[in-house]
Amino acid sequence: MSLSFRMIIVLTSIGLLSGGLLVSVGFLTKERIALNKQREIEAAITAVVPGTSSSQKLYEEKDFTIYAGKDEGGNLLGFALNTSAAGFQDKIILLVGINADLTKINSLYVLDQKETPGLGAKITDRESFLVFWENKDCSGPLKLRKPPVASPEQLSPSEVNTISGATVSSEAVLSAVNGSLEKIKKLKTDGKLIVEGKNGD
Amino acid sequence: MATKTVAQDFIKGLWQENPVSRQLLGMCSTLAITNAVINGIAMGLAVSFVLIFSSLLISLFRKLIPSQVRIASYIVIIASFVTMADRFLAALFPPISKSLGPYVPLIVVNCIILGRAEAFASKNTIGRSVIDALGMSVGYILALLVLSAIREILGSGTILGIKVMGTWFEPWIIMILPPGAFITLGILIALANQIERKGKLRR
Repeated sequence: MSLSFRMIIVLTSIGLLSGGLLVSVGFLTKERIALNKQREIEAAITAVVPGTSSSQKLYEEKDFTIYAGKDEGGNLLGFALNTSAAGFQDKIILLVGINADLTKINSLYVLDQKETPGLGAKITDRESFLVFWENKDCSGPLKLRKPPVASPEQLSPSEVNTISGATVSSEAVLSAVNGSLEKIKKLKTDGKLIVEGKNGD
Repeated sequence: MATKTVAQDFIKGLWQENPVSRQLLGMCSTLAITNAVINGIAMGLAVSFVLIFSSLLISLFRKLIPSQVRIASYIVIIASFVTMADRFLAALFPPISKSLGPYVPLIVVNCIILGRAEAFASKNTIGRSVIDALGMSVGYILALLVLSAIREILGSGTILGIKVMGTWFEPWIIMILPPGAFITLGILIALANQIERKGKLRR
């Protein structure tokens, strides 16, 4: 058997063998991985729209998804907006929870971020950042408070806090939140925001 | 004699030929993922899985693979195990898979694995190759544990997420950033060299 023939045989069979192995591993794990992603989103929706027992995807475009959160009776409790903005290092992906009238932000949930640990990464921390974004009046755009304040009570209803030393990250979160609010309000005025079943308001 | 070789094949990976502190292999992932102990453990186990199984297969096929295509063959074998490890992590431990990010797929190009394949598994019996891979794996895990423990304690004041430092402690954020990895690794390698030199003088 000539050498080149042997090389072809060996490489082909190793390739086929690993290909076959990987197909079966991919097949085994595919469902589980999809389920994990689904669960993560659902847990986040329940976190930002409290009381949600079922969620429904209402609208989807590039980097923007609207989920409706409903209680057991099918009543609309609010919306969860999956949105993103460019942070300091990479995209910050977050979920914005708002009430059914689009007037109040319940809370935020950061799904993915690669900000600097200790500085920008504080956007995932409730005590030092997220608590300043809860129960905010969002009938108009939100504004950043600079310099930051120590407790949420010191902010006006449409003001949110900055992280000192991480203005870029704070502004990214703000632009993601304001951008997503604008989009959902526009969809509502255009009559494109239709929720099946009973309406909350 | 036989048991002596087996022991030697295993033990050399722990200190004398430790992949991190003595051979300086696989530095990229070592530096990148040791910011928390849990990441160090997960990465150590993922690399061990790939190292042990690819050493086994490469040693098994060593007489069949023509030397002209050996690197290509090794890489295909290694890449298959890496993909398997990556899928399993994503399926069973999604948070760990997320925090390790691209470093699991990058095990393919981790020099420890190709290095052991080329230097050991391609020349030795299956038994010896697996023992060698086991020793290297344990050595790698130990090195990652030491590095990530130092970095997590100083950088976050925690170990495995549990607070170990008092409230007086202000975390040294630099320790969980890339410079902290270089500083810690540099000091550890210097220490290892110093210990090794002292040992030689005594001998």
